[in-house]
Amino acid sequence: MMTKTKIRSADIRQFALMTIIVVILAMLSYYVVNYPQDKIVERFISYERILRATKEHIYIVAISSALSILTAVPLGILITRTNFKKFANKVLGVVNIGQTIPSLAIVALFVGVFGIGAKTAILALWIYSLLPILRNTMVGILNLDESVLEAARGMGMTPFRILKKIELPLAMPIIVAGIRTAITINIGTAVLAAFVGGGGLGDLIISGNNINRWQIRVLGASFPALLAIFVDTMFAFIEEKTAI
Amino acid sequence: MIRFENVVKKYNELDKMAVDNLNLHIKKGEICMLLGPSGCGKTTTMKMINKLIKSTSGNIYIDDKNIDKVDPIKLRLSIGYVIQGTGLFPHMTIGENIAMVPKELGWDKARIDARIDELLELMELDPKVYKDKRPKDLSGGQRQRVGVARALAADPPVMLMDEPFGALDPITRGKLQDEFLRVQEKLGKTIVFVTHDIDEAIKMGDKIAIMKDGKLVQYASPAEILSQPADDFVAELIGGNGAIKMMNLIKCKDVLRKLPSIDIESESILALNLMKEQGVRNIIVKDKNHKVLGYVRYKDAFKNQNAPLANILNEIGETVSPGTTLKEALSLMFSMGRKAIFISKEKGSIDGIITMDDLLKAVNDDDQDEDTLS
Repeated sequence: MMTKTKIRSADIRQFALMTIIVVILAMLSYYVVNYPQDKIVERFISYERILRATKEHIYIVAISSALSILTAVPLGILITRTNFKKFANKVLGVVNIGQTIPSLAIVALFVGVFGIGAKTAILALWIYSLLPILRNTMVGILNLDESVLEAARGMGMTPFRILKKIELPLAMPIIVAGIRTAITINIGTAVLAAFVGGGGLGDLIISGNNINRWQIRVLGASFPALLAIFVDTMFAFIEEKTAI
Repeated sequence: MIRFENVVKKYNELDKMAVDNLNLHIKKGEICMLLGPSGCGKTTTMKMINKLIKSTSGNIYIDDKNIDKVDPIKLRLSIGYVIQGTGLFPHMTIGENIAMVPKELGWDKARIDARIDELLELMELDPKVYKDKRPKDLSGGQRQRVGVARALAADPPVMLMDEPFGALDPITRGKLQDEFLRVQEKLGKTIVFVTHDIDEAIKMGDKIAIMKDGKLVQYASPAEILSQPADDFVAELIGGNGAIKMMNLIKCKDVLRKLPSIDIESESILALNLMKEQGVRNIIVKDKNHKVLGYVRYKDAFKNQNAPLANILNEIGETVSPGTTLKEALSLMFSMGRKAIFISKEKGSIDGIITMDDLLKAVNDDDQDEDTLS
């Protein structure tokens, strides 16, 4: 699929956007650390602190997203197998309703069950981001051109070979789009981890509010937002490469 | 080659039967057209052969082997399958599409590559140009050719074709039908071909199996179906102009009338006697080197018994090849305003003649023969 690598103007645009985001974040950090608005900010902020919050954030997002992908994709494949296909529409219905529950509600619910800490945040994000990936995996496979699948069956391919050689490659762009949505949402939602003692960039927002300093607030708000755009752009790039 | 024995298919306990006690024997190397309106069970019948649909009861044999006892994957790998809209894999190149079954069978790369080239050439697609293209870069007709090539990849003895040319425009369809018949002449596959197009069935089929409500109504050669429809349903399916359709089926070489020939220097009376002897109304006139000069009619020779043949010579006019269908010959006769046309394999020689009466006789079953002298 990626045999012919051509550099297109869209690639350059995406790459430029990603670079700009990194530069903005670096400049923002430099500005706040070197030109704090007052002593309180000066004492509060440091490169280490920003880096630690970012690392924590990325860790929460990465673990929860990885768990989501590892569970939702196989689950989506399983539900689209002949034996379970009749349940597919019901599952999709449940998934769509699940998506409407506010993320904060899920996080709050999980604190009640698992207590506080990064683990709770990761579990909540995992459950929440399962849904877009599961939905896209199912829709991607179920909406394949029936004549293609019939040809594959009629030619004598085994169900496993059809899955591997036909269904997954053809559904891949839609599955990747689901993963992209899930991770982008997760980057935003992961600020909630701070409320349950899970750390991450949400810490900066809460602290910024507590000490009532705009520099910290802006820092805490722009990091997850720009990170989300960064990852989204990265996935746009991957999606175009996996498209047929 | 393929035999259905009391085959029944019911999709649902309560439903009526999709295929109702079908008995059918398709001979090796024949094209069997399954023809009928939608919902008649023709596609179900075809898909039971490669077990995409399981029969409810009855037996199906391929080469005297009951397919119940064959693993479905093995069975399908040995049967070519072509469907409407081709079902080509859009994420693979043309070459990869064709290579699919050979790969499943574990052929080595060199053999697969050679086979891809061979098949593309057979389907008149240049391998250099098309092998690495994607299906979306091809026209509908080209895609359908690749679909056929893919089905032929592992050289299966049996091919199943489900309205393969149904989605094409009439001109492309006609071309592909001709091409496919040409390929089939070389390969001699046993083919089950589903269609709802009576013209396609007549053109392509060695046999036509007409189905209605899951039952086999008539199973016969196209000519027999056109001349002796089993019931009103078949007659209606053929439509009002069965005779015209019949003319599509018969080649000039099948009905042409051989003519005697005579040297231009001979006397008219000799020509007259020759025609009387052989019971024909025309005679070919040649020169010393056996080059055809024209022809002489019986009535002219009769009236001018003492005149030289050169005086009553007629021009041959446009000729048709022996492989031409009667319909094409008729249309040419109309456009030339003649009642007869000469058949010629190559320039300068005449194989015979076809008259209007011959045409009538070929498509009707009455025995009157006005051309011969009694």
